[in-house]
Amino acid sequence: MQAKKGIPYKYFGLLLGAIAVGILPLLFDTRYATNLLILAAASGVSALGLTVLLGYTGQISMAQATFYGIGAYAVALGTTRYHTNWWVALAVGIMAAAMFGTFLGMATLKVGGRYLAMITIGTQIIFSLIMLNWIKFSGGPDGISGIKRPPFFFQVTTAHDYSWVALGLLFIVGAFVWWLRNTPLGRSMVAVRENELAAEAMGVNTVRTKVVAFVISAMLGAIGGAIYAAGFAYISPDTFSYDMSIQTLAATLLGGSDAVVGTVLGAGALTFLPELLRDFNSIYLVMYGFIIIVVIVFMPNGLWGFVDLAAKRLVKRPTMAKAETELQVGGQGQMGEELLVVTGLGKHFGGLKALDGVDFVVRRGELHALIGPNGSGKSTSINVISGIYVPTFGGVRFKGKEIGGKRPSKIAQGGMARTFQNLRLFRELTVWENVLIGSQKKGGSAAEVDDRARGAIEFVGMSGKAFERCKNLPYGHQKLVEIARQLAGEPELLLLDEPAAGLNQTEKQEMVHLLKRLHNAGLTMLLVEHDMSMVAQLSNTMTVLNFGKKISEGNPDHVLSDPAVVEAYLGNREVALNA
Amino acid sequence: MNLAIFGQNLLAGVAIGGVYAMVALGIVLIYKATNVVNFAQGEFSMLGAFGLVTLTQAMHINYYVAIPLVLVIMAAFGLLFELGVYFPLRNRTFLPVIIATIGASIMFQNGALAVFGAAPQKVAPMVQGTATGGFTAGGVFFDYHYLVILAVTAVLMGFQYFFFEHTLLGKKMQATSQDKDMARLLGIPVASMIAITFIYSSLLGGLSGMLVAPIFFVTHRMGGTLGMKAFAASIIGGFGDVRGAIIGALSLGIIEALGAAFISPVYKDAYGFLIVILFLLVRPQGIFGEKVAEKA
Amino acid sequence: MRKGFALLLAAVMTLTVACNSAPKNNASGSGSADDKKPIKIGVTIPQTGGDVDAGRLMKNGVELAVDTVNKAGGVLGRQIQLVIQDDQSTNPGSVAALQKILEDKDVVAVVSTVRSTQIAAQIPTINELKVPVAIGGTNFGLTQGQSPWVFRFRPHDGMSAKAMVKFVVEDLKKSKIALVHSTDAFGNGGRDMVVNALKDYNNTLIADQGFNTGEKDFTGVISALKQSGADVIISYIAASTDLGILAKQMKQQGLSLAWVGSPSITGQDALRLAGDALYGTYGVADFNKEANAKAKAFAEAYKAKYNQDPDFYSSWPYDAITVLTELMKTTPDLKPETLQKALLATKGLEGVEGTYTFDKNGDGLDSYHILQNENNAFKLVKTIHANAGK
Repeated sequence: MQAKKGIPYKYFGLLLGAIAVGILPLLFDTRYATNLLILAAASGVSALGLTVLLGYTGQISMAQATFYGIGAYAVALGTTRYHTNWWVALAVGIMAAAMFGTFLGMATLKVGGRYLAMITIGTQIIFSLIMLNWIKFSGGPDGISGIKRPPFFFQVTTAHDYSWVALGLLFIVGAFVWWLRNTPLGRSMVAVRENELAAEAMGVNTVRTKVVAFVISAMLGAIGGAIYAAGFAYISPDTFSYDMSIQTLAATLLGGSDAVVGTVLGAGALTFLPELLRDFNSIYLVMYGFIIIVVIVFMPNGLWGFVDLAAKRLVKRPTMAKAETELQVGGQGQMGEELLVVTGLGKHFGGLKALDGVDFVVRRGELHALIGPNGSGKSTSINVISGIYVPTFGGVRFKGKEIGGKRPSKIAQGGMARTFQNLRLFRELTVWENVLIGSQKKGGSAAEVDDRARGAIEFVGMSGKAFERCKNLPYGHQKLVEIARQLAGEPELLLLDEPAAGLNQTEKQEMVHLLKRLHNAGLTMLLVEHDMSMVAQLSNTMTVLNFGKKISEGNPDHVLSDPAVVEAYLGNREVALNA
Repeated sequence: MNLAIFGQNLLAGVAIGGVYAMVALGIVLIYKATNVVNFAQGEFSMLGAFGLVTLTQAMHINYYVAIPLVLVIMAAFGLLFELGVYFPLRNRTFLPVIIATIGASIMFQNGALAVFGAAPQKVAPMVQGTATGGFTAGGVFFDYHYLVILAVTAVLMGFQYFFFEHTLLGKKMQATSQDKDMARLLGIPVASMIAITFIYSSLLGGLSGMLVAPIFFVTHRMGGTLGMKAFAASIIGGFGDVRGAIIGALSLGIIEALGAAFISPVYKDAYGFLIVILFLLVRPQGIFGEKVAEKA
Repeated sequence: MRKGFALLLAAVMTLTVACNSAPKNNASGSGSADDKKPIKIGVTIPQTGGDVDAGRLMKNGVELAVDTVNKAGGVLGRQIQLVIQDDQSTNPGSVAALQKILEDKDVVAVVSTVRSTQIAAQIPTINELKVPVAIGGTNFGLTQGQSPWVFRFRPHDGMSAKAMVKFVVEDLKKSKIALVHSTDAFGNGGRDMVVNALKDYNNTLIADQGFNTGEKDFTGVISALKQSGADVIISYIAASTDLGILAKQMKQQGLSLAWVGSPSITGQDALRLAGDALYGTYGVADFNKEANAKAKAFAEAYKAKYNQDPDFYSSWPYDAITVLTELMKTTPDLKPETLQKALLATKGLEGVEGTYTFDKNGDGLDSYHILQNENNAFKLVKTIHANAGK
């Protein structure tokens, strides 16, 4: 994960993969075995597409065989009918898949889950029908024969030579997908998978990330199809069917959807397994179905997850290096200038007026508290300011620019950050990765991004647990991570939605201490909090809301003695208990 | 355009829609109870149909005795399915469950192939003793069997309404499907409610299989298409809505039949999906709509 | 992740060992050195997936042929042994099945399937591994210069289309012809052939209705046929369930035209499923159990063994085994080239389907019977020799 002195041994895996590419065709030297190797390589590449889409980004596609088919037809038509170079035909196929993928992705990725499943199933079935019936173009059910193999320094003709090319392509694609995981884009994808809303609030454009993932997945599908077409020299439309899409999906899930090695193993297993079970004759597909269920039930993270988990137990956790430069807390600018100006802000949900014309100003360097009884509109304010809700009327100006109604990711990139009341951490990821995703919205070189993340983790005192998965941390620590990953983006304004909710007394004091340190370091904060004692300790300005309207404003002493405030809270047990 | 021909195609669409509706009901009920889509629902139909074939032809049991017997078997099968495929995965996301149900459908299809063989089977129609199995009125042929299917669909709709709105068990099941945690707090045995849902869906599947057996013939692959079409119908109907599923299924049947008759039969399977896709782009919540989840 | 590739390698190595530890017999059996070893013939047929039904009938055919040959003493004292692999009804599956069979160097010839697409997928492998393959796929293009190793034991669709058109125009004296076909390789290929054959009579189709295999409701197709004003239907439909449902619904919806169907209309499954809905229809058939004495004997033996009447699905693979073994009795050795030459030289060899004379493309038969369904028994109307290759 981080630069280490001496041998860069994270590349050992790549070296071993390269050796495997070299050796496997020598081991699998019969025509039958070579053929299966090629098939496994083709399916593997296609399944790696789903690793990006499903494993990284958490979106389902049941149309992978469509993109596989596009690549196969590109190579088939290119090398037989149009007599182009194999690689040119492949490029055309990848382009076509990318274009179709972009269109489909942009049109459908707004809906998610099972709807996406349905749309992709529909696409798959329509693709099959078109290829079957558009005879002038696709050759119809007769298919296309005489497909050429690629020139690769010399013209590859035998299947055995070609298996090296196929495995080589698998290796390159595998290395790419593996590399992608730890790029800003890869981390954005994982953030989308783990928690779409939090990802968006942290500056990740979730729709664009999903579309990009879909397009990459489509392109890899096309490469897989091209490998298949050249390997078998004949294609017909019935191969690129719904069944194949399902099989690709199963390969990805069985292997362990978010790990490259897992996916390759899964594709290999699903290619070789039916062949190894051949001797069971008619019941081998029964066993195949059964094995799928067993793996899904007993190996939640797939074959690879199973191995990986066992391996991780044996490996000592690395420790995080120290940050080299100090984290910038609070932006540059004139202390006391107007940073956030809310004017006449309203948000109605049907008849419910959650916010009804609220004005307040947050100045640079302030710790501004937003309080009020339950349902007064505090959280709604934060949601509107951070872009999660579109305001019904009124304006929000941040650093002098109107931001009301902009995408949350856009606002976040402008220098605002927020935490969520009910934690929205990326639970399956480590503390390190959570914070890294927060850090990358500010950009800069990889080293800078890493260093900011280290600085933020140090700031909240989580260095010792940097490589723990968030879901394994106690609640109090999770809250600290939530703040750290916002700090890493070096925001100018931090919106805190009940940071103390659910914490015990000791943890609360730690949180108060952390917020004080942030305040002293010059960070501007807008704090929504129920705990009045905490608010009184911390804030220098308060805005009080009730029924969506502002009822009081000023310094704590003034506000807490304001009759309107007292009245609003009177009879409210929460205040009686907390104050 | 000849009115009789139009009527004939419309009738065919409605009848096939009725078949889709029964399978779709099973999918939607399971979806409501568990939030997962059962891709093996079509195989329930296939198994029901094979059950009928086995009982009537191999064991020579009276046709009308065999039908309830098959339903009993299917109920047991539904429970086994729930325990084997859903229960171990109940706390996981929808994807592993979907893949597990796909695994199950591969298993059932090929299990049926191994047990019952490859030859397609013929089953006697439910209304027997007529030459053509129907009557002609106004130039339109009415297949008794289609009428039986529509009648059963209608009765099931009525029963379902009565069951969910007017019986305690139905209300408990409804509460479970709406909010499991709340249902648990109210002392409803959620696990049993889900098991009952699977049993009922399996029954529905078996029944639909027996109903289509005489017109489609019985093969180990008959469930695949049925399941897919029912899935599409559920989407049109907005998932999670019984009324929507039925209307979705009927519209899908009609769209397909009229599309085949008046555009081209070759793209028949595409019309339904095209409509579904357009539908989702314009109105992702289906005909009757499912509450779009509030953000944050 | 770095452990990943290491483990991948380990896993793959294990797989390799598993593959290689499978019994492998590399002893050359193609010579005549070992006189007592059985002669192996490979068979790739669908045993899972969409075409299992055809696969079952083909398996009956080859097994009956092998039984018969072996009981009669085999080939010069050597028994015939079948090596059957499932083609999974898919292209990759059929290629893998063929290659798996040919791992065994003792296999001297292969009998493949009736599904033309799967044969087309196998052709690159056949050309590479050079072994004679008997096929039952009737798609015209399969034998047209694609491979010198493919031998067709049925007449191709060019001939069936010619036979059907000739019969419709010259004997039934109909001219308003509608076509119904499945949109697979078989159905679409048949459509092209019918259109071609009609050119000889300066005629064209007045309706062309395609449908996808697995269709459950043919009301749309039937409406179109009714409105077209056709007086005869030609059909190219492979799946017996499709045929059965179509026939039943045509009857119910009152469409009773003269109907000449591709061979599956004479298949036993279609008869069983459609019942009286197919009475009176005509079919072109390469197999007719009344055609000659061999066919009669075959039909009796088949009925005795499997308790049903045979159809073309079983008859051509039966012939494939029988013809191959007959040739093996006369050839000096069993090398692929020798068998290939012997097949190409075959002239006038009688089988249950007809009399085999292979042309240079590897087509062995050139005649079709027109049969009429009379209460589920078939009456031979006429036999048409229609060599479309010339």
